[in-house]
Amino acid sequence: MSDRVKQDKRIAEEIIRLRIGQMIVNEEQKAKRLKVGVHLAMGHEAIAVGVSEIMREGDYLLPTHRNIAYNLVRAGAVRPILEEYRLHREGLNQGRSGSMNMLNPERGIIYTSSILGNQLAVAPGLAMSLKMDNKKNVVIALGGDGSIEEGSFYESMLMAQSLKVPVMYLIEDNEWSLGTHVKERRCPIDTESLARSLGLRYLHLKGNDPYAYIKALREMRDYAILTSSPVCVEVRVYTLGDWRLKTPEHPEGEIINYHAGPAPEVSLSEWPIIRDNDEDPIHVLIKYFDSTMLAEVAREQFTTLQKEVA
Amino acid sequence: MESAQSRTYIEYINSLLRKRFSSFSDIVAYGQNINAGSRLAGFTRGLAPNGQSLVLNTTNTENAQVGFGFGLMLGGKRAVFLMKQLDFLYLGIDQIVNTYNIIRNIGHASGSFTIFPVTVDMGYEGPQSSSNNFADICSMARVDGYAITNAYDAERIIMSHLGAPGFRILSISQRLFKQEIIDPGKPMAADPNTKYVQYLEGDDATIVTFNFAFPYGWQLATELKEAGLKVALFNVNYMTPIDWKPILESVRVTKKLVIIEDSKSENVSAYALRAAAAALRLEKDILVRRTLDEKWLNPVSDKMDINCEAIIRELS
Repeated sequence: MSDRVKQDKRIAEEIIRLRIGQMIVNEEQKAKRLKVGVHLAMGHEAIAVGVSEIMREGDYLLPTHRNIAYNLVRAGAVRPILEEYRLHREGLNQGRSGSMNMLNPERGIIYTSSILGNQLAVAPGLAMSLKMDNKKNVVIALGGDGSIEEGSFYESMLMAQSLKVPVMYLIEDNEWSLGTHVKERRCPIDTESLARSLGLRYLHLKGNDPYAYIKALREMRDYAILTSSPVCVEVRVYTLGDWRLKTPEHPEGEIINYHAGPAPEVSLSEWPIIRDNDEDPIHVLIKYFDSTMLAEVAREQFTTLQKEVA
Repeated sequence: MESAQSRTYIEYINSLLRKRFSSFSDIVAYGQNINAGSRLAGFTRGLAPNGQSLVLNTTNTENAQVGFGFGLMLGGKRAVFLMKQLDFLYLGIDQIVNTYNIIRNIGHASGSFTIFPVTVDMGYEGPQSSSNNFADICSMARVDGYAITNAYDAERIIMSHLGAPGFRILSISQRLFKQEIIDPGKPMAADPNTKYVQYLEGDDATIVTFNFAFPYGWQLATELKEAGLKVALFNVNYMTPIDWKPILESVRVTKKLVIIEDSKSENVSAYALRAAAAALRLEKDILVRRTLDEKWLNPVSDKMDINCEAIIRELS
């Protein structure tokens, strides 16, 4: 097996690990064994792995309340995260952060905001500290289609560009804010035009192809550092875990978009695919690998993670 | 100590700010117009950066500016956000509450962040001036906040807090800008962090000033002395309730308490002191606060009237 193939396989393993890790957390939520609610990010694995792959020592990552995929990939383990959700001392932050503000400073996650857009405002300051030290690093500030509605998105990009500091604004667009679809709450936002109006380089990603994501994100990171300026990446994600709520009005069940807490219709399984199309990063892996081999990887990850959290 | 002789309040503050700023080589001073025009009426004039230090005129983006300071703090640098008006800070309150809570909860930020706004207490600002209440902001987020009122506390507060690890808000009073700064000399006692300072000692009454009311208290103490009364004078620089023990010890002796509080806040820590002192069976309990008439939201003067003669009569 060539180094390239090994590398590609490792990325596929990571995506599957993140999915099964989240499924384990989901089972714990269903069983009410966690002290805090978790915003699962099943469907966000490809971008999370992509971001982690391009990060270098000294880079900073500022996630949102939906940070589980990023914390799982940066921590490289499920148990400390699960223990954090249990608010145990063995948790990643000794039980002091819980879910929405989980940090991992040693792995670059120095600030995580549960408030929409607060992390965007912190990013230029961190980036300025890198610039002052002449470091060839970047600050990756995550947001969603909800946080770009906040003034801090505009303010932060304006400030970062005015001060010429290397920030990558990475907007995960899942089209939902709590239970409200984007079309139900606002006019369309042309993020590309907004970013370009301030002089930011812009990139749109979709399709959950981790290898394409890594290549594109790496180029954007390099550009931000080379030019010491902010860039904006928007990525289409599908937060999986929809479920049906049966009510007198909807006896067949009304589709409820997954936001937080348990995803009742997702069950832990050795083959963790949820949706049979490109909206699911696990499905996308089938383009690159034999499904028998992927199933074997998933079984191994399943066994390993089960042992880890036992 | 920096000489305060014949200097205005703002000249003195500026000289200390320049001195403290130039003592660091990794500090970023930033804000709107801090390096342009009048430099916030002289407040930020002449900042000379050393080493990595920077002086940045920034955009009108208060939420991002407060976040910027916390970002620098997380990156191990020193940041000072110099602001023309305290009430602009409400646009950044989410950062002060939530971002600072996350940072202090984990305690992983090695840098420093100071927000240094001007409390606009001259009046004539119209509706917005009603929110120029320093204590309200500090209380909302349980943040360390220090009001600077005279030459002694200015030196103590600026030279020890600005640039030190952690986060705090310092504020100065626009009302005092052009007045000659009061140099009260060496105090009787002071809290190590300058949460309070005792400037005078006496058995006839205890005067305690809050917010930016120290000049009123100093004036009253001077007039009381001329009337033959010797009073204890405390100034509380800290914006939220402190350990009142040293003040209560004085009140226990004098049995006469005069509180002067010049903010427009509804809830002030002076009330906490007053409640604690009530248990001491006071002979006199005088509270001097700003009275707001029906025009308080119009562009009117913020000047607080204090009737020293009446207070002297009460205490004599």
